[in-house]
Amino acid sequence: MSLELVKWIKSKKGQQTLIIFMFTLIPLLLLFVFTYLPFAEMVKFSFMKLKYTTPAENREFVGLKNYIDVFSRDDCFSALKLSLYYIVGALIQLALALYLATILSFKVRLGNIYKGMIFFPYLISGIAIGFIFKFFYTRGFVFDTILGWCGFDLENLPYWLKDQSINNWSLVATSIWRYFGQNMVLFLGAIMSIDPTLYESAALDGANRWHQFLHIILPGIKPVLTLNLILSVTGSLSAFEQPFVITGGSNGTGTYFVIMNTIAHTTQKVGLASAMAVVLLVIIMVCTAFQKMIMNQLFPNDELIIKRAKLRAVREHKRRLTSNNSVRFNRR
Amino acid sequence: MKTRKVIAALTVGSMLLCMSGCSEGTGDSESGDSGSGTPAAEEASAVSYADITLGEDYTDLEVTITMFNHRTDLDSPDYGGVTWEEYLEAFHEMYPGIDVQITTDTNYAEDALTHLQSGSYETIMGIPAVDKADLSTYFISYGDLDTMSSLINYATTWEYDGEVYGIPSTATTQGIVYNRAVFEEAGVTEIPTTPDEFISALLKIRENTDAIPLYTNYAAGWTMGAWDAYIGNNATGDPTYMNNGLLHEENPFRDYGDGTHAYAVYQILYDAVSLGLTEDDYTTTDWEGCKGMLNAGEIGCMVLGSWAYPQMEAAGPNAEDIGYMPFPITVDGVQYASAGADYCYGINRNATEEEILGALIFVKWLTEESNFSYNEDGLPITPGADTKLDFGGVTFLEDEPAIEGEEDLLNELNAESELNINNGGNDKIQEIIEHASNGDMTFEEIMESWNVRWTDAQNSLGVETN
Repeated sequence: MSLELVKWIKSKKGQQTLIIFMFTLIPLLLLFVFTYLPFAEMVKFSFMKLKYTTPAENREFVGLKNYIDVFSRDDCFSALKLSLYYIVGALIQLALALYLATILSFKVRLGNIYKGMIFFPYLISGIAIGFIFKFFYTRGFVFDTILGWCGFDLENLPYWLKDQSINNWSLVATSIWRYFGQNMVLFLGAIMSIDPTLYESAALDGANRWHQFLHIILPGIKPVLTLNLILSVTGSLSAFEQPFVITGGSNGTGTYFVIMNTIAHTTQKVGLASAMAVVLLVIIMVCTAFQKMIMNQLFPNDELIIKRAKLRAVREHKRRLTSNNSVRFNRR
Repeated sequence: MKTRKVIAALTVGSMLLCMSGCSEGTGDSESGDSGSGTPAAEEASAVSYADITLGEDYTDLEVTITMFNHRTDLDSPDYGGVTWEEYLEAFHEMYPGIDVQITTDTNYAEDALTHLQSGSYETIMGIPAVDKADLSTYFISYGDLDTMSSLINYATTWEYDGEVYGIPSTATTQGIVYNRAVFEEAGVTEIPTTPDEFISALLKIRENTDAIPLYTNYAAGWTMGAWDAYIGNNATGDPTYMNNGLLHEENPFRDYGDGTHAYAVYQILYDAVSLGLTEDDYTTTDWEGCKGMLNAGEIGCMVLGSWAYPQMEAAGPNAEDIGYMPFPITVDGVQYASAGADYCYGINRNATEEEILGALIFVKWLTEESNFSYNEDGLPITPGADTKLDFGGVTFLEDEPAIEGEEDLLNELNAESELNINNGGNDKIQEIIEHASNGDMTFEEIMESWNVRWTDAQNSLGVETN
């Protein structure tokens, strides 16, 4: 029995299985210990009343009270309204990224420099961005000065962070500035992977750049577009960094995450904060499923379209080849 | 060969002995923990704080201990006062064998809690906001309250069940740091003692100088929470108010009509903002920058604890212009100021006996020999010590502890109402400024909403009110 086991281990198949198992074991273990275990613990906390320092035996089970609070308090659930600003920002961000990626995917002079410059903000640390933009938006500092050069009068300019009708847009603008480069690079990668012969054949069929974009690029990058959209919308729902580092969530800029952070760390209502986190997770899951559905509606059977287009392109190519050949034959 | 075997056996034997000794030690402390009333007996067997004579006892002790605290500024060689390195140098003259590794952190209040929660934390910590009932889980007792009260001031800060778990690093008072030159230029000759006098002084500053009368430091957040410190002793003259009166008061944020209590404190802020006596754009205030601005006379005053006083002096060439005045509230003709401990040193109860001894010596040295409190412009920690602060005519009060059984009630009410008074409740005070500036809520409405929150918390915790 044991001899057979040793034999199996030594065999090629045994070795393969063993290595696959060992290699997956470590990441799975890490995933379990650092993601699923804490998550399960957090779900448990969401049914309890506790502070961080409350010893385990003094934690009080309160049932669904925390969840009821999330929906009944006027600062928890309604903070998600601010996410609308960020969702609008995310759509602008994606449109901008897609536009630039499309342009840069064709031959552009100094294209790589533009790509680098556009991607650069993503590399700056979030804390640094907080400091940069606090000074950027300070009355009479960078932004006001630049607008002053453009002929704006300081008297007519709003207070970018103080005016509650505008300060969320200021933060959203920061967020767009930071992330659209990253979106663009993802789009660029996807666009590059599209078979270039498709453009050629499309051009032969009389398609202009807009038609190429609509019928080749857009369906071709659908998986990446879906991914970016999902990431951006979930990112908008859990917007945290910009408001936290620039305004600290004060003055009407406290997003769901910032509120959650305050409730967890200042007020130490760990149970309520955990419940907020669970609720947000559910919302994000619903949003993601919803988005997938919409995307499938918008681009039905795109694989089929691409396959057909490819086939057509190949046929076209062959036809041209044979016609070329026949020309050559004729010459001969 | 045989000798080697013997040596090996002996080594193993001694190791086993050591281990059993260790486990016995922990077993002892655990039994002391669970049994009621035994901690005192347990401490009596070990060395207690009171028994150590600095410079005579244990001068040959060799141990490495760690310390975690919030004074990042003392880490920098540019610091105007005495740095940690200089303190350690002085300490090593007396105790060369005790090596102290000091770590400081700008986000101390939160990170210290994380350290405690992890179970492995530094030998000496500034005690963060833990519940008093949990003190003995984390820290050793320095001794009973009677003994400790004779040795240090503010012994009750971290006292539970008659045992003292924290010794203050320094003590601060609460007032207003201001620029004398600006006040003189504005024609304010007498220090304001009531809210009305204070507001009219600010008005004069706006009329007669270019300075910002009152700088709110809104953006930094915690500088706003600092306003909470004035609603106890300063505003009521009652040392039991903060830990007792407030807890049982019905609608404590109502208008008392005589310019006292919390209402008067926060009203100063609301009025100053709505009258335009604060900076133009509060959302972009700069904490580091404000120090130099006050020093240079671009700011009239700021509402900050006395700990900020040395920093403002050090921030520019005009140290002698900087002054520190009591908060402008007078209760029945008397001005009060609260005096309270800054972060208190607590000693890790899970440390080895040697580490605890080293920590006790270092804490005692910091308290009695280092002049730390004097250097930091604090109030004296040991009875009768010297201080730079001079609040002539002001009565100092020290918050009295909560009555038995209500030690954690303020914490509970804070968490339940989410007002977080004196406990990081910055956003509620930022909101005062926002509403004053936008004019979308009157001061009465704000205070009424706080009353509702406080009352709800009192009801849900079953607190009796009067």
